[in-house]
Amino acid sequence: MDNFRNRDNQFRRYKAHVNIVGTTQIHLRNPYIIAWWSAAFPGFGHLLLSKYLRGLMLFTWEVIVNNNAKINVAMVHTFCGDIQLAKEALNIRWVLMYIPVYLFAIWDSYRTSVDMNKMYLLAERENAPFNSFTIGALEINYLDKRKPVMSVIWSLFMPGLGHLYIDRIVTAFFSLIWTIIFLYFSNTLLAVHYLFLGKIAQATAVLDMQWLMYMPSMWGFAVYDSYANTVENNKLFNSEQKDFLIKHYQSPKFTIKKGMWSVEQP
Amino acid sequence: MIQIFSTFEHSLNLELAISSLEKNGVAKEHIFAVPLTNRKAERRLFDTIHSTDGISLMSTGAALGTAFAVIGASVGFKLAWGPIYWGLIGTAGGFVLGLLIDIFYYKVLKKRQRLLRGKNSEVILIVECHEEKGDIVEDILWHHFALGIARLRM
Repeated sequence: MDNFRNRDNQFRRYKAHVNIVGTTQIHLRNPYIIAWWSAAFPGFGHLLLSKYLRGLMLFTWEVIVNNNAKINVAMVHTFCGDIQLAKEALNIRWVLMYIPVYLFAIWDSYRTSVDMNKMYLLAERENAPFNSFTIGALEINYLDKRKPVMSVIWSLFMPGLGHLYIDRIVTAFFSLIWTIIFLYFSNTLLAVHYLFLGKIAQATAVLDMQWLMYMPSMWGFAVYDSYANTVENNKLFNSEQKDFLIKHYQSPKFTIKKGMWSVEQP
Repeated sequence: MIQIFSTFEHSLNLELAISSLEKNGVAKEHIFAVPLTNRKAERRLFDTIHSTDGISLMSTGAALGTAFAVIGASVGFKLAWGPIYWGLIGTAGGFVLGLLIDIFYYKVLKKRQRLLRGKNSEVILIVECHEEKGDIVEDILWHHFALGIARLRM
């Protein structure tokens, strides 16, 4: 059950839609930041724009091709200055496939955010009513005020939890599942265990370069996306409540009466 | 009749306050809400994204933090402290660097006007009621986190 239904297309654009799996929202973004997240990990830029299907597709593509081409291993060797090792690590049958899609993800997310910023301005000016409450058999979602810092903290503990906190179920489950895969195959937590025991060399030896290098972006994205969306959801809450109050609590009969009493007295 | 003025932040508490007033017999026409447009200024260091210009002190920090984490973790395979420590050092270093860049950019290059700190009054709520109901109304408003209240006699 929703509290708004678009029956006859009387509005042209909507700035938000509170739905059963999340709060989808158009808001202003810096296109360079979106492009950067696509460069960090193809798919993240699109996920930030709430374009989930292509975001998840690009993300999965990146993991498969990177894993076969061994881009991450080559990157580690390159940063370490072992160019020869980097050359040997790369799989030529896969690596050239990587380039066009990688660049497309950056370019496409950049130009999409430029267009969506224009879309936002038009939707904001039109200020069409939108669904702000939904209850169904499987989930409940509504506009509410939440604390951005809590999104950051939970995302740091485990990417995905910050998104659950703000009802972004698609990103939440996707992040949780991929984090399990990355953490398991990279032996990250095993290495952390050795670090706690003070065995640094052993911790380094146990880490898998290829899988470990997915994690910085995963963590960074989870923190940034959940933080930014918490703030934007709060802003959406404010503007929705503002419209509600103006519509229902500004009776034309209401007068500010201070000083009027003496005038009305006979 | 008296009128009670109060200010609130936007929150569910405000709507709870209004519905409690109505439950206690205050007519809807006697409740008048004036949502304010607030000065566009950050409330906390990290929340400039609150202003609708699409910028945030988090953005550059998160981006550089991630970039430096990748480089730190990579080079860490060769360094004594290993990839995890160097990845964390890279994250912290990149985040702080990004933050400093943003602070320099927004505070020094594009100096903002005076900043509002702490809680803001976002809505003025005026309730009209009989004098004897004034205490109940004030109780309800305080109970739902009004920032300030004033009672005016006619």
